[in-house]
Amino acid sequence: MESKILKPILAVYVGLFILFLYGPFIVLSILSFQQGPEGGPQFPIIEWSTYWYQHLFGLTPPSRIAPLPVGEALVRSLTLAFMTMVTATVLGVMAAQAFRKRFRGAGVVFYLIVLGMMVPGVLTGLGTSLLANNVVGIERHWWSTAFLAHVVYTFPFAFLVMLAILNRFDGSVEEASWSLGVSPITTFRKVTFPLIFPGVLSAMLFAFTLSFDEFPRTLFASGRDQTLPLAIYGTFSVEIHPNIFAFGVMTTLFSFALLAVYGILMGLSVRRAKKMAMQEDIA
Amino acid sequence: MTQSDPIFRLEGVTRRYGNLTALDGIDFGAEDNSYIALLGPSGSGKTSLLRVIAGFEAPDTGRIWFQGRDITDLPAHERGIGFVFQNFALFPHLTIFENVAFGLRNGATKVPDAEITDRVRASIDMVGLAGLEDRNPDQISGGQKQRVALARSLVMQPKLVLLDEPLGALDANLRERMQTELRTIRERLDVTFLHVTGSETEALAMGDRVAVLDAGRIVQYDTPDAIYDRPIISDVALFLNRFNLFEGTLKDGSFHGAFGAAPVSSVRANDSDVYAIRYDRTRIFDTDASDLPGPALPVRYLASEYLGSSIIFLFETADHKTVEVDHHLSLGEPRDLSVGQNYILSWDPAQAIVFGKEAAQ
Repeated sequence: MESKILKPILAVYVGLFILFLYGPFIVLSILSFQQGPEGGPQFPIIEWSTYWYQHLFGLTPPSRIAPLPVGEALVRSLTLAFMTMVTATVLGVMAAQAFRKRFRGAGVVFYLIVLGMMVPGVLTGLGTSLLANNVVGIERHWWSTAFLAHVVYTFPFAFLVMLAILNRFDGSVEEASWSLGVSPITTFRKVTFPLIFPGVLSAMLFAFTLSFDEFPRTLFASGRDQTLPLAIYGTFSVEIHPNIFAFGVMTTLFSFALLAVYGILMGLSVRRAKKMAMQEDIA
Repeated sequence: MTQSDPIFRLEGVTRRYGNLTALDGIDFGAEDNSYIALLGPSGSGKTSLLRVIAGFEAPDTGRIWFQGRDITDLPAHERGIGFVFQNFALFPHLTIFENVAFGLRNGATKVPDAEITDRVRASIDMVGLAGLEDRNPDQISGGQKQRVALARSLVMQPKLVLLDEPLGALDANLRERMQTELRTIRERLDVTFLHVTGSETEALAMGDRVAVLDAGRIVQYDTPDAIYDRPIISDVALFLNRFNLFEGTLKDGSFHGAFGAAPVSSVRANDSDVYAIRYDRTRIFDTDASDLPGPALPVRYLASEYLGSSIIFLFETADHKTVEVDHHLSLGEPRDLSVGQNYILSWDPAQAIVFGKEAAQ
């Protein structure tokens, strides 16, 4: 009886939820097929076309609308996201590994690490740039100060993911390895790492995506050369054309591709995880 | 059994977790090439002891010697002591073959591939798992996992293997088969097994010698029959689960308990007065019997348990304490008892073991 009322309500709720989640993207994708170069970033669609996609890749005849200045920014952002991903994940795994043993001041250190994702981004960005300019006296670059700000931001996420994974990890396989005369370092490489790999993959995904579209911290910390989110923001101040929407669709598709790769890698290591779970059941 | 130099020795080993003392100044040495069972109830510190010997944990005080060398400060992977876990702890991402080969492949000394293959095959053969080399750990049964864990340890040719309740995760049938097998395998190799268990039957059946651990101390270390016949304190008698224990007072050469007064010939030092008589030495009489061999304990019959070779009769005393009688069927047909009926239990007082505070002084 109860479910007859509750189910439709929940269904509507879920529908609305998904609409809010994907509504902007759907509108964006539709408008990206606006006619060009006259068509603007609003409804109605004058005529369906792929003009703005061609425009993005410089395949259209020259017009008064300048090509989107995102090429270099995209490369920069991808490089920065990759650097951040590697650093934050390595640090995250190492820090989480350290927390498997209780040590003096563990609580304080935990909050200090997690603080990195709590403090307002604009302030971190501003602070980083002030520190670089006035205290240390170095120039700001996307690959130095902004990179640092990104690592500080993404490291806690990687850390928390790894903490959750290692929390469930049964340490007796490591002890078994030691008792076979295998050093702790080799044990980590040959036993621990393969078994926590699904978690490492998640930490990497977090770090990459968070860094890739990071705005507030990068705004002040990146210096002269802009990252992708900054470059896109910069175009807003002139005039908005549907080529930004086309670009948005492209980057979203890229994100999906990234998720697909993650999904495949995850699927491959899930077999291992299953085996691990079965062993735990017996224990 | 031949006596030889201890393969490992503990000197005053103490381990504390906060306020809890898991190991309380343990002094212990184990003979080379023997099977030692370490018996203790849960919480007696038996797993802590194994972990300290293996090097997974450091003792707070005390030294550990192995093959004449002080290994107290040596990390686990440099000790050369094997360890078999209750949950097997196989490497789930490796095949059976690679599980067994793991130590040879990744150890400090390089072993040629051909030798690895030979040794791994020999080891897998020994535990009777030939043909399963390419399986993954999730494709084999619990008993097979236990054998892999054993083969993985033994392939390193350790002089000492620590087994932490290795049969605890197996069902009863398999447990008995593995008991025999563990003993046979050990006898074939020149290796000492230190087998931790909470089961008194397992300890008595398997060990050449049995060490009884209680509250972080080894209270008795002896052959199984000596432990069975002459438990050194009442707690040991209690773990053995083969004695009816009675509280009472020891005074002027006789013990006063629920069964009246019984003459006492010798007394063992203990922190309280306890009278112990084995289940299979306790006999059942009618309430009007006149030919009792010793003291008379009035009881009410509760139930019986058929064990195949013997029957356990359960009785209740006036103060609601359960008393057991083990009647071995080779001694003839058991009596026909009716539930709720009153009987008298009696025994030969010479067969009782008496523990007393007096003897401690």
